Amino acid sequence: MSDNKTYDPYESFHKLSLLWEKQINDFIFLWTNNKEFVKMTNAGTEFHSRYLETLKKNQEALASVLNLPTKSDVTNVANLTIQTEEKIEALEEQIWELQDSVKSQSKEIESVVEVSKEIIKLTKQLKTELVKTKKELADTKSLHAELQEMKFELLKLNNFKDEFDDLKGLISKERTVEPVLTGTGSAK
Amino acid sequence: MAMATETPIKNLIPESDYEKEANRWNNVLKALTEPEPKMGHTPRAEVWRKNKSVLWHYPSKQRKYEIPLFFVYSLFNKPYILDVAPKTSVIEGLTNMGYEVYLLDWGAPGYEDKKIGLDTYIDKYLRTAVKRAIRHSGVNEITLVGYCLGGTIASIYASIADEPIKNLIVATVPIDFQPFIGPDKWAEGLRQGDINIDHFIDVYGNIPPKMVEGMFRAIGAPVYFSNYTMLLARAHDHRYVDKWRRMNKWTLDQVPFAGEAYRQLATELFKENKLVKGELIIGNKKADLKNIEANLFVISGSRDNLVLEEQSKPIMDLVSSEDKTYVVVESGHVGLALSGLFAKIVDQWASSRSNQL
Repeated sequence: MSDNKTYDPYESFHKLSLLWEKQINDFIFLWTNNKEFVKMTNAGTEFHSRYLETLKKNQEALASVLNLPTKSDVTNVANLTIQTEEKIEALEEQIWELQDSVKSQSKEIESVVEVSKEIIKLTKQLKTELVKTKKELADTKSLHAELQEMKFELLKLNNFKDEFDDLKGLISKERTVEPVLTGTGSAK
Repeated sequence: MAMATETPIKNLIPESDYEKEANRWNNVLKALTEPEPKMGHTPRAEVWRKNKSVLWHYPSKQRKYEIPLFFVYSLFNKPYILDVAPKTSVIEGLTNMGYEVYLLDWGAPGYEDKKIGLDTYIDKYLRTAVKRAIRHSGVNEITLVGYCLGGTIASIYASIADEPIKNLIVATVPIDFQPFIGPDKWAEGLRQGDINIDHFIDVYGNIPPKMVEGMFRAIGAPVYFSNYTMLLARAHDHRYVDKWRRMNKWTLDQVPFAGEAYRQLATELFKENKLVKGELIIGNKKADLKNIEANLFVISGSRDNLVLEEQSKPIMDLVSSEDKTYVVVESGHVGLALSGLFAKIVDQWASSRSNQL
């Protein structure tokens, strides 16, 4: 097995480096993790900030005399661009809202058109039915007239029947009178 | 007899694998001299831009979920760590899984942005970006995904949002600023007023990137060189070298931090811990986490040496959400995004909450 082993010191070197790194960082941690260091850092930062502030003020003063734009001037211009961007954005959102309302309105219009189509269809149907009804009414009228005629005919027939009955009565009356006349003659 | 004396000496001298060594030094040379690797390969389109911030849209390969994911990244670093390399990219993974992804890149603030505070970032940038994303995707709801400080910003926004946020996912998120991983006397000094950064911020405008980097170094490891020895030890593996180079580029690629936002972060969040107390005011609204009713998913890394688990966990008790999940994964602060593992974890939770098509 030992014959297959090759020379590779890098892994050990890496492990060693991890160890060194940890030791150095632990040392830094112990060195810096105290109130004194924190206060010293703050004082250093404050000093650095004041130095930079003075430098900037002098720069601004010099640039103003020389009539040169500074980073602050560029910042102001950039802020105007951002403001414009925001306004365009607001307008774009308003256009969206308008688009949405137009869409919803056109949808409503479409539904109204659909309903109108239905109404037209229904009206046409009703019209056809009305024509039919009119025709039927006319038929009914003619039927009524015929019925009236029939009624009249029936009335006439009734009258005829009465007359016929009268005649029948008269005939039967005549038949009963005749034997009485014959008997009186033979007794003389 | 001659053989007997030769063998032990031969055994004592370890053999060198010349091919391996050639690869090692070749890759080290490449890492030091070749141009930096290209990041952000997933196809994307710009949806909206304001000042230096850009809202990007990463379309899904084949859309499977209705509700899109909206990523909010930290203000300290650049968000391309979420799309760091093919196959391990978080965003690529999620688009392949069928999610529409949006990412708000805050951009690098310039001197003119020194007045941008957390409230401006949330009210004027994040809110507008979310509105744009909702309109762009044509849906009625959205899932917010916040990473690191982006998670804090996403949580603050979710507590004051009028927009329909269905799910809130936060990873390695500092919510409670009382626990601190750095030197305790520093934290004490800042809280007791022994350190005053106001004057410094006023003069500088923004916190320069080198100082942001220095701040993180000071908290974790002021002296840091083991990454280079690690590279040397594993340089024979070209895949590791590629990963190392990407990670190294991202770590050194810091952005300036807007002065006003930094002041708020240091004073209102770190010093006064207002978010946990429900006293933070954003615009004219109180950012109380109990206003959050969205489904909540919180992820912490067990090996996170920047944001402690105790800093993330309190959000679970502070929100009003009925559906809330907390998980701890075997990962570091950046490893979650760097390995692409984050995509799988997000998908496991979000797939049943994103309206499958």
